[in-house]
Amino acid sequence: MPISAPEPLLEIAGLSAGYGKIGVLRGIDLTLGAGEAVTLLGPNGAGKTTLLRAISGLLPWSGRIRFAGRDLAGATPRDTVRAGLVHVIEGHRVFTQLTVMDNLLLAGYGLTRRELALRAEEALSFFPEIAAKRLDRAGSLSGGQQQMLAVAQGLVRRPLLLMLDEPSAGLSPVLVDRVLAVAARLREAGTAVLLVEQLIEKSLAFADRVYALARGSIVLQAGTGELDLPNRLEHAYFGQNVSAPLAT
Amino acid sequence: MTDAPATPPIAAARAAPPRAAAKLEGLWPYLGIGLAFAALPLSGDTYWGIIATRACVYWVLVSGLNLVVGFAGQIAIGWVALLTIGAYVTSVLTAGTAVPEISPYLALALSAVAGAVSGVIVGLPALRLRTFYFAMTTLGFATIVTQIALAWRTVTGGGVGVAGPVFPGWFSTPWGFYYLCLGLAALCTWMTANIAASRFGRALVAVRDAEVAAEAAGISKRALLVTVFLFSGAVAGIAGGLFASLQSYITPDAFTFDLSVLFFISILIGGRGSILGPLLGTILLTVLPEIAAPLVAWSTFLYAALLLLIVLLMPGGIAELIDYKNRRPLSRHRELAPRPELLGRILKDHARPGTLSLNGIVVTFGGVRAVDGLDLEIRPGEVHGLIGPNGSGKTTTLNVVSGYNAPDLGTVRLGEAVLPPGMTHLRAARRIARTFQTPRLIGAASVLENVMIGGTIDGRGSFAESVLALPRHWRTEAVLREAAMRALSAVGLEQLAAVRADRLQHSELRFLEIARALMLRPAFLLLDEPAAGLSAEEIRRLATLIVAITRQGTGVLLVEHHADLIFDICDRITVLNLGTILAAGTPAEIRSHRDVVNAYLGA
Amino acid sequence: MIESIVAYGLAMGAIYALIGITYNVMFSASRVFSFTAGVLGMLGGVFGALFIRNLGMPVLLGLVLTLACGAAIGIVTEIVTVRPVLKSIEQHLYVLSTLAFALLIQQFTAIEWSTEPQPFPRLLDIGPGWFDQQFWLPVLACAATIVGLELLYRRTLVGRAFLAIAEDSYAARALGLPEQRLRMASYGLAGAIGVLAGFAGGEVLLAFFANAPMLNFYGFVPVALGGMGSNRGAVIGGFALGLFQQAANFLVGGIFASVAVFAVFIVVLLARPEGLAGAAGARRV
Repeated sequence: MPISAPEPLLEIAGLSAGYGKIGVLRGIDLTLGAGEAVTLLGPNGAGKTTLLRAISGLLPWSGRIRFAGRDLAGATPRDTVRAGLVHVIEGHRVFTQLTVMDNLLLAGYGLTRRELALRAEEALSFFPEIAAKRLDRAGSLSGGQQQMLAVAQGLVRRPLLLMLDEPSAGLSPVLVDRVLAVAARLREAGTAVLLVEQLIEKSLAFADRVYALARGSIVLQAGTGELDLPNRLEHAYFGQNVSAPLAT
Repeated sequence: MTDAPATPPIAAARAAPPRAAAKLEGLWPYLGIGLAFAALPLSGDTYWGIIATRACVYWVLVSGLNLVVGFAGQIAIGWVALLTIGAYVTSVLTAGTAVPEISPYLALALSAVAGAVSGVIVGLPALRLRTFYFAMTTLGFATIVTQIALAWRTVTGGGVGVAGPVFPGWFSTPWGFYYLCLGLAALCTWMTANIAASRFGRALVAVRDAEVAAEAAGISKRALLVTVFLFSGAVAGIAGGLFASLQSYITPDAFTFDLSVLFFISILIGGRGSILGPLLGTILLTVLPEIAAPLVAWSTFLYAALLLLIVLLMPGGIAELIDYKNRRPLSRHRELAPRPELLGRILKDHARPGTLSLNGIVVTFGGVRAVDGLDLEIRPGEVHGLIGPNGSGKTTTLNVVSGYNAPDLGTVRLGEAVLPPGMTHLRAARRIARTFQTPRLIGAASVLENVMIGGTIDGRGSFAESVLALPRHWRTEAVLREAAMRALSAVGLEQLAAVRADRLQHSELRFLEIARALMLRPAFLLLDEPAAGLSAEEIRRLATLIVAITRQGTGVLLVEHHADLIFDICDRITVLNLGTILAAGTPAEIRSHRDVVNAYLGA
Repeated sequence: MIESIVAYGLAMGAIYALIGITYNVMFSASRVFSFTAGVLGMLGGVFGALFIRNLGMPVLLGLVLTLACGAAIGIVTEIVTVRPVLKSIEQHLYVLSTLAFALLIQQFTAIEWSTEPQPFPRLLDIGPGWFDQQFWLPVLACAATIVGLELLYRRTLVGRAFLAIAEDSYAARALGLPEQRLRMASYGLAGAIGVLAGFAGGEVLLAFFANAPMLNFYGFVPVALGGMGSNRGAVIGGFALGLFQQAANFLVGGIFASVAVFAVFIVVLLARPEGLAGAAGARRV
């Protein structure tokens, strides 16, 4: 264990991002250490997805992002993926016209053939449900299975940091637990995980630390073990205390 | 709150330049060109006289095509078909071979009619087909017309051709004919400039750049486009007749694809949405090949090269180049200062049709029930908030009310009357106005013009009256302009009235949309996440504005994520989750409702 | 004469099908319809005549060189007319940029090559008669292309990457696929297919600059009717169009044949703007 605090794996300072003229994020500061599990919560429209897109290079941004000692200014998603930062986007968007195996192979585009085969098997080992369906068209999978495939795609690169955007969306609670179990396993193996979610209880159970995002800025950061967290979150979300009388 | 006295804001008078000076300012280039052309015969150069005549004839066609391509944004590349039709109709009718000979003027008039009908036939597919497909169909039409001209030997003389018309008297001389064409070109310039400055011109651009918003403002794309195709086709037909006279003898291969290209590219080089730009473009492209002999063979190559350069470097064309007014820097620290006290004047006498109610609304998208049995009531003078997590059906509900989505089950009622489902452009007449999640505006038009579009359906006066600049056209314009300035002042944007809308900041665009919606004097205003991207201060001003609107008796449906705004100003709130109502009541009730909090926090 | 209709119909149909596939490959990679498809077909004939007949190269070398030139032009199309426009907000501009570029090439060819149709060399020595090479070479080229594309899409990772981008370019980008490079490669491939159409059909079409607008239109019809992005639709539509056109030619004469084709085209499109086969692949919300 090093005596001095190591440089965080991901360091964001003063980040602003948006869509064209619409500014969504303002002055975001966030850090994440190697092997840490952090969850990002917040109401809709707060900018959670926007934040992940900025980090992975899908959106232009201003400010500062450092990952694994590198400055990510001007990085494309291809650059970030190769640096070890993988973003599993929202909506379990897999390529329905291709097989499960093809989907995984594409996730490792650029690796050697042998390495690719190895990694694909490795990724499938996390999800035996879809391993059995490896030669089936991805379009024939259920929504939950597609979500698992999307996460498996993220694993092919053996990322240093895996960012998951609302993996629970549209999934039954059982499947959500499955996905989070895989995330926990990864975490144990040393992969850092940044989880964006709407489900508070499960996220807090999974992560070490939590950030709450509302109206484009970070309104709360805490360790998940801290007291009175649900109440503080509610306060952060709605901007007012529960019991306070409404302003007229 | 009593109505504030109707004093026109002084700022408004300062912001928009005095009408007379603006008009004169706009006239200079036309006068200059007109004088130059009128004085040409003094040089005695008959060669350039022919070139100039050709430019005038081309402009007659291009001025009409400009409305189709530049204003309506339709990629009609095969318009030479109409030139062909006009040329042949005029020539055959005056030649006296196939039918008894008639006067050239009558023949010209008839070719205008033929052109108008053909214009509608060529143009109609635009209503159903996407851009590229439509472009292809116009090309196909051009080929067909030429083929028919070749084949129909008995009438058109086939490959041999037919003699063009000769106009009687002084017009049979080169310079006389030149003045005839120049006069018609000037007339076409005037007519199309009138349309451009009318609500029809603005509506065309709205359909081009912000179709959804145009629909919401009550603009019927079909009626508008058909009218424009009729007009465009008619002038193209006349141009055809003049062309035949200029050539003195026409054969099918006089109507090449190169001509179509020239017409089309003149407009794009000139810049869409402008009259002067394409005018200069036409003159430029007609004259260019004549400057040096080798250029003639390379003319189409040059046109194409110019087009490519324009598209890549300056899509706005010549018009953008000469638009120095919109390059004046805007003040950086602009603040929105809405003046809700002006709303009384704007919204007085607005319709009061009763309550807006939704009953049993069910909307399914491919097997998923986005809205599952929804009952909702929006009362006049009330702010009704609609909130819920992503995927709860809020936006779908708003789209059902505004007619964008037709529900599978259930009805939307305004008072006692059932609103026809899925008919967006009929909502405006019912005084239901809306704004959009992402502002839908016409970047190339000024702020004032954008707002004026909101009042299109209240304009009086037909297309023909606008074409000929009859009194009712001016009166309607003045009324719309005044109302728009008032709406702009109410939202605090009057200083930016003359500025191009795409130079505005996001927050200003949101308020601009509200000003546009106010033009309908709405009984109900539907706001789709108006607070997104606004600062805290701007949200406060937005809140004041919305409350003031409801004080005038308008009902507001507010779809929002922004908890502060919702709880601040709503009289009633409905919470949706997964398409059904989770809770409904006053803000106090909702705020402490356990299920609501849990749904938001996703427990 | 049935043999004439079938022979010419299949040959022209194969050419139209290949141009349709050219459109599709460009569309799948970029969601853009490019006016350069017909021009590429025209250039296939011109390059073939230039290399083999005028410069005296052996047939195989001429073919390879032509394909290389086609691929190069395809790539230039992507860089100059598609990439800059995709970045801008005004998507409609792609129609204009590709139109301008196609016109440039067409006019340049007219001036530098010839305004009259030039003869195309005989590639092999099979014929004459209804089994003359001019009839079945295009069909062979079409079959080879289809087989080649199948192999590409099913057996190579690059091919599957093309399919991925065609289905969901945003997800492909997020996954780290080199979207821009793949798009350029797609356009290069489309360029090669386009010139192949003109080369294989050189004897039927001749080396004539005015083939470009004709191929543009008739190559588009199968795509419009068969559904954009669907190669199967393009092939079926292409052959159907070729046979229909020849039959109409024979029955009512050349001029009304074009009118007939066009009329059918318009009517079908107006009835079903998405084409007969419908949209290709399930679109994600």
